Amino acid sequence: MVKSQVQNNIRILRFHHDEMTQEQLAQKVGVTRQTIIAIEGAKYSPSLELAFRIAGVFGVPLEEVFIYTPEDMSV
Amino acid sequence: MPYQLVTIIVTLASHLLVLVYYLIRMAGMLQDGELVESQVFILWAIVIGATIVITIVSIILTTILLSIVRAVKTGTVEEDHFIVDERDKLIDLKGERVSYVAFSFGVFLSMLAFVLDQPPLVMFSLLILAGILGGISGNISKLYYYRRGA
Repeated sequence: MVKSQVQNNIRILRFHHDEMTQEQLAQKVGVTRQTIIAIEGAKYSPSLELAFRIAGVFGVPLEEVFIYTPEDMSV
Repeated sequence: MPYQLVTIIVTLASHLLVLVYYLIRMAGMLQDGELVESQVFILWAIVIGATIVITIVSIILTTILLSIVRAVKTGTVEEDHFIVDERDKLIDLKGERVSYVAFSFGVFLSMLAFVLDQPPLVMFSLLILAGILGGISGNISKLYYYRRGA
């Protein structure tokens, strides 16, 4: 599986928001649950707009949701 | 199973069905000795028409069936399951690209056959085969991209 260089904290943030389900998050940002699964598993990097929408749902800045790790720094 | 994935599988199945029909008809013609002009062009029309009709009808039926199954499961009528989001569009575009590349390769091969003194009917037969194989490869690549993430 190809892992994206954009990692994220969506799973933790969902946990801290009353165990929000992937389906609920998907409905709030207007995508399918499969897209949330792919983003959470770092298999798909969302568009900037979707990334902002996800951060907006959790009420945190973008950098608290997504972390960019350049290739030469990744393990 | 997500709606997009079901649609791709249904489209792939209809393309495979058309491919089987095409190969059977072509094998029949080749067994008879040669490609007959009128039969090849009728086959063209059938393949193109069948691909369009079978794909549209099967997608409509699948959508209706999926809606019924989901409504029975959840007890509500939800349209959220038919959302096409940015990832779906991206995968669709990537699949189309694979499809066009495969078709272009087929067109090149059919032109090559023409250059190598094959009768024009061979070129036309290869062209339609390239179209079907292009569709199949596009759908297979979409399935792959869905499994990979995007």
